[in-house]
Amino acid sequence: MLVAIILLTGTAAGAAPPVRTLFNSGDPTLALTPPLKGAGPAPPGSAAPNPDPHDLQGVWWLQGYEYLLGPEPGVAPPLKPEYMQVLERRIRAKNRGTPEADASTQCLPHGMPRLMESPYPIEIIATPGRITFLHEVAHNIRRIWLDRPHPAHPRPTYLGDSVGHWEGDTLVVDTIGLNDRTFIDDEGSSHSTRLHVVERYRKIEGGAELELVMRVEDPVTLEHPYSYRRIYHWRPDVRPQEYICEENNRNAPVNGVTVAK
Amino acid sequence: MTRGARRARLGVALLAAALVIASGAPASPAVDLTGVWSLTGRHSALRTLEGTLPPLKPAARAIYQEHRRAAARGDRSFDGVGRCLPPGLPRLMLMDEPFEILQKPQALYFLFQLNRLPRRAYFGEQLPPDPDPLWLGYSVARWDGGDLVIESAGFNDSTLLDDAGLPHSAALHLTEHYRLSEDGRHLHVRFTIDDPQTFTHPWDTAADYVKRPGYEIPEEVCADHTRLRSR
Repeated sequence: MLVAIILLTGTAAGAAPPVRTLFNSGDPTLALTPPLKGAGPAPPGSAAPNPDPHDLQGVWWLQGYEYLLGPEPGVAPPLKPEYMQVLERRIRAKNRGTPEADASTQCLPHGMPRLMESPYPIEIIATPGRITFLHEVAHNIRRIWLDRPHPAHPRPTYLGDSVGHWEGDTLVVDTIGLNDRTFIDDEGSSHSTRLHVVERYRKIEGGAELELVMRVEDPVTLEHPYSYRRIYHWRPDVRPQEYICEENNRNAPVNGVTVAK
Repeated sequence: MTRGARRARLGVALLAAALVIASGAPASPAVDLTGVWSLTGRHSALRTLEGTLPPLKPAARAIYQEHRRAAARGDRSFDGVGRCLPPGLPRLMLMDEPFEILQKPQALYFLFQLNRLPRRAYFGEQLPPDPDPLWLGYSVARWDGGDLVIESAGFNDSTLLDDAGLPHSAALHLTEHYRLSEDGRHLHVRFTIDDPQTFTHPWDTAADYVKRPGYEIPEEVCADHTRLRSR
């Protein structure tokens, strides 16, 4: 309701940006949840970044946080018409205050690519043949295998089967074998078990930032594959903390914004 | 304490850890615990090394006996594990499902198959004097010769020490001694449980683990199998 009032009365006092709506329709029932500022760089005095392009270890924290994961901020994934209708239905339900249950609200893993769009830190660990992502959010773990191909018929899981290899200074992670119980993004874009996600990670800014180019492909729900870019900040001052969703954890504000209640 | 305040406190701990490392912490030996490990034997009802019931104080003994009676009539509502809550420690180390250890210079990482729970034990620092209560506590690790020693405190009192319902308090202080066999395939762990609010004196129990080369821990999601209370 607050969203609707702001929309009808124009921009709220101050420099608040206009509320985004699906398709830029201006329809308040299709209002998108505003993005978050997310994390910034490490504070002064923190340990210097590790410039080794092939060592991604450490704690990384996403800059910004988008609730809709399309090719551009505020733009929906290129969903086929029937799935675009499902997304509209979910956004309208959210704006009525009766959102459709998604995996994360049931303490199920967030799925992909959504898990990488979390306002909580990620710790990356390298061991022989493996890179492991430890996500603070809901104790999600991703294992990226560098020493084996995908199984021929992976059992569908929430986070899929991930294999990686280096192309120069870029770690390429290929993920298949995802179940269809999760959404592409928080707003509720659908994917199928044929979802195929390719992530390209590369250190930039001397190791102070980790760039991700995420490519999303799903011949069932998407008209065509698409990509988007994200930045994670090197944060040696941060340790991922215990996050027990099953306890009905209360989320503390991130940059002054409460992520969820 | 809020997440933000905990982060601020951790920043201080990190700085202290960096100072310890800079001043020359003992180097880790050539022992590497990295790999997947499976418990051998059953540890669902903990006993001391002497085979006796742990030395419960009277009030704790009454709680334990109530848990035993409830379990006997099929009521396990006293056990949060059935609601996908973390089992706490040392119980998480003493359940049937495998776990993976990733040994790095800064920490030992335990990745449990059970509901994908992680545990970190940090090298080069001391336990904080007043750690915030957590499901899996706060753990620090050090090498003692070829043995790894992990000390943990800062537990909440919502967990149990074993499947049978052995209680503990938030004063629980756990010390674990890890010894790897010469062939690197067996791990022996001695657990020292010090909880003066629950037990008359500290006591020890132990467990053995076998390495599982080639075993990939599958994604296991407790909430897939258990309706959470919100449903």
